[in-house]
Amino acid sequence: MEKASPLGFSRRAVLSAAVAGSAGFASAALASTPTPSDDAAKVVEQLTGKTAIASDRLHLVMPQVFPNGYTVPLTLVIDSPMTEANHVRLVSVLAPRNPLVEVAVFHFVPQRSEPRVSTRIRLAEPQYVLAVAEMNDGTLLMTETWVEVATNGCR
Amino acid sequence: MSTPAPRVQVPSAAAKGEVFQIRTLISHQMETGLRRDDQGDVIPRKIINRFVCRYNDVIVFGIDLHEAVAANPYVEFYLRATESGRLEFTWEEDGGHTYALTHQLTVG
Repeated sequence: MEKASPLGFSRRAVLSAAVAGSAGFASAALASTPTPSDDAAKVVEQLTGKTAIASDRLHLVMPQVFPNGYTVPLTLVIDSPMTEANHVRLVSVLAPRNPLVEVAVFHFVPQRSEPRVSTRIRLAEPQYVLAVAEMNDGTLLMTETWVEVATNGCR
Repeated sequence: MSTPAPRVQVPSAAAKGEVFQIRTLISHQMETGLRRDDQGDVIPRKIINRFVCRYNDVIVFGIDLHEAVAANPYVEFYLRATESGRLEFTWEEDGGHTYALTHQLTVG
């Protein structure tokens, strides 16, 4: 016999909802790529006027937690043969919760540069950092990664 | 603010077709234009807004930098060795000033 909780939900219903909720959270956390949130897709569409496709060819490597928002390490690797017929032209890094969203745009040249770069960026608050790649055929690929900073790096 | 000093770390030789690493750093405040001074006046933006690497005068890699690139911009990137020659690195600052370094690469 189930006992109704004060809010009117049965204990079983509350527990199973909690389990389902945490399972959903876990699967979202594991699938770091490629599952751009609606927010991310919207930001990209506003900035480029185009729709970006979530892709596991883009790897945006950043620490999940970092104490100092002034200098957060970032590494970007794109799976691309970099031939004339198939290459990545540029990758734009965006921080939607920074006062200024655009962080940097990296330009690559087929057969000359490898689609791989590392630098350090500022983040104002914990957020999803986005990378949007423009391929030579004009398609946009994107990925995002969650970064939690303890201090505001934009002050 | 002291004068921005660029630095690069590049191998002096590479095999033809080899991918080699380049590390660059320029000491620079990267003033974002978002901060205010003691009087409450906005400190004007002054950042390195573009970085370009040329290999025998051909652009092989570039970056458009915005305010959110950390102070003292550090960049690590990778090029393919095609022929011996000159690598030229240029940092462009708001206001038009540029800083440059060159490096001789021998491809065997």
